[in-house]
Amino acid sequence: MYHFGRGRARWVPYLLLLPGVLAYFIMAVGPSLATTVFSFTDASGLPNAPVNWVGLDNYEEFLFLGQAARDNLNAVGRTLVFCFFVTTIQFALGLVVAIILNQKLRGRNFFRTLYFMPVILGAVIQGLIWTLFLYPLGGPLAQILGTFGLRSEFLGGPPTEAFAWVIVVQIWANMGVTMIIFLAGLQTISEEYYEAARIDGANAWQVFTNVTWPLLTPSVNTNLLLNIIGSLQAWQLFLVLIGYRNGTQVLGYLIYATGFGQTSGSVTSSFRQGYAAAASIVMFVMVLVIGLTVQYFLRRREERLVG
Amino acid sequence: MSAVANATSRPRRNVVWGKIGSYVFLFVLAAIYLGPLLMLVNTSLKTTRTFNRNATAPAVEMNFGNFAEAWEKANFPQYLLNSALYATTATAIFVVTSVFVAFPIARGYVRYAGLLFTLYVIALFLPPALIPQFQLILRLGLYNNPIGYILLFIVNPIGMVILVNYMKTIPRELDEAAALDGCGYFRFVWSIVVPLIRPAIATVVVLHAIGIWNELILPTIYLTNKDYYPITRGLIVFQGVYGSNWPLLAAAVLMLTLPMVVLFLVLQRYIVSGLTAGAVKG
Repeated sequence: MYHFGRGRARWVPYLLLLPGVLAYFIMAVGPSLATTVFSFTDASGLPNAPVNWVGLDNYEEFLFLGQAARDNLNAVGRTLVFCFFVTTIQFALGLVVAIILNQKLRGRNFFRTLYFMPVILGAVIQGLIWTLFLYPLGGPLAQILGTFGLRSEFLGGPPTEAFAWVIVVQIWANMGVTMIIFLAGLQTISEEYYEAARIDGANAWQVFTNVTWPLLTPSVNTNLLLNIIGSLQAWQLFLVLIGYRNGTQVLGYLIYATGFGQTSGSVTSSFRQGYAAAASIVMFVMVLVIGLTVQYFLRRREERLVG
Repeated sequence: MSAVANATSRPRRNVVWGKIGSYVFLFVLAAIYLGPLLMLVNTSLKTTRTFNRNATAPAVEMNFGNFAEAWEKANFPQYLLNSALYATTATAIFVVTSVFVAFPIARGYVRYAGLLFTLYVIALFLPPALIPQFQLILRLGLYNNPIGYILLFIVNPIGMVILVNYMKTIPRELDEAAALDGCGYFRFVWSIVVPLIRPAIATVVVLHAIGIWNELILPTIYLTNKDYYPITRGLIVFQGVYGSNWPLLAAAVLMLTLPMVVLFLVLQRYIVSGLTAGAVKG
């Protein structure tokens, strides 16, 4: 029921809603859907350049043509590897930390704040802090390795190693969000359940599997989806930590590099925005397929727990 | 008798060991979180010479000159001003327009309110808008233009969802009572609803402004004129020039880290409630 008048006055909420909704459609939903259209063209990033329809050429080139396609598929694979490690480790670590910090411990607010703090700093500061921490010529980690007679170039080392360090920094930077969401979930679980379990003589592990884990389902679902989608799309730390280097690229970085020009070794890619749009659609399909699959299994699990 | 004593003492001993284990774990993890920060502080106080000799030795020389030098060389005041301008303008536009979208959606005062809300909820799953957005700004002639840059940040679907969910907690009777007293729609939303949802607005403002402040990719794409750079881009440029002078770079990074940490400690409540919104209920 609308109370604020009839007739012409009934249009007031529509008029006031219009700016915000128009902005959303023009700046977000429209461009998002238009990505599909652009992926069938040879659009470039130059002003006034003609745009031609090229059908499926961009997709064919991205997926099947020569060495570049193999590099692209490697980047897709690497994105999945990145997603897998970041999601599993960040999820597990966030859960353990949240459970520990949900106990009555001295200094737990300090630890919560500390673990959460990197989230606020943003990719540039996170990246620069870790570039310094991983300084290969006598930095802290280099010295620790040195005492074991080992040495490493860290971010400047072999691609696989540099890639692994980005995973570490990504988890360091975002574990706080996972922890906070789990903590919020843990605080909704009533103390009575724990007491009942204890009276029944359950040990810590049984309490976890029978009380905490099932009752934590909403936070588990949120964290899994956020971590998976977030890590599939994340690439800012790659930019700050190692730059566009062969053997380390992920899909998000590839889209940016092909769309907006980026030099890698001897290869300078141009502003190929149609092609980059096709790569965006590949990423979209990836996010959608993985996201929906995970959601499907989470739903089934939830029904099993409730039913 | 002794059996009973045993039965009670074993769990207690487990609890003690659990506590010790918890602390060991927390301190090890804390080292990983504090270590890089301590290294940053220590390096910022060294000279290039002492850093090159031994990067991790304590900075006994206390070379505060790095801060003055970095501040002077980096054009930070200009960058900080730009970042502040982008963050405040875009956040203000976003919040003011969003309130008038969120309220009728929360109440169902417009047609297709549910559908509209779904469009905000599924934003995370939509294809990346990067390329067409660039083409749009380019064709509007707003490339390398602060106005074009601000336009990129006037929407935030997650913020909208937070606002709608919070508004649903305001009792509907309030609308009716206000309308009976002759209060108009605009005045009701602006001077009654907005004050009531202040916690949600604070959360959305803080999250949105921090997102703009920390954005790196979009300024790299859209702003080529140095005078328009926000602080993130400015810091990357500074790294490109002075990247081999770690004490200087560390001083620059630290100067930009500290205000964020202080801000975080002050606004922590809002940041946390924003990130956990919807997580508990699913």
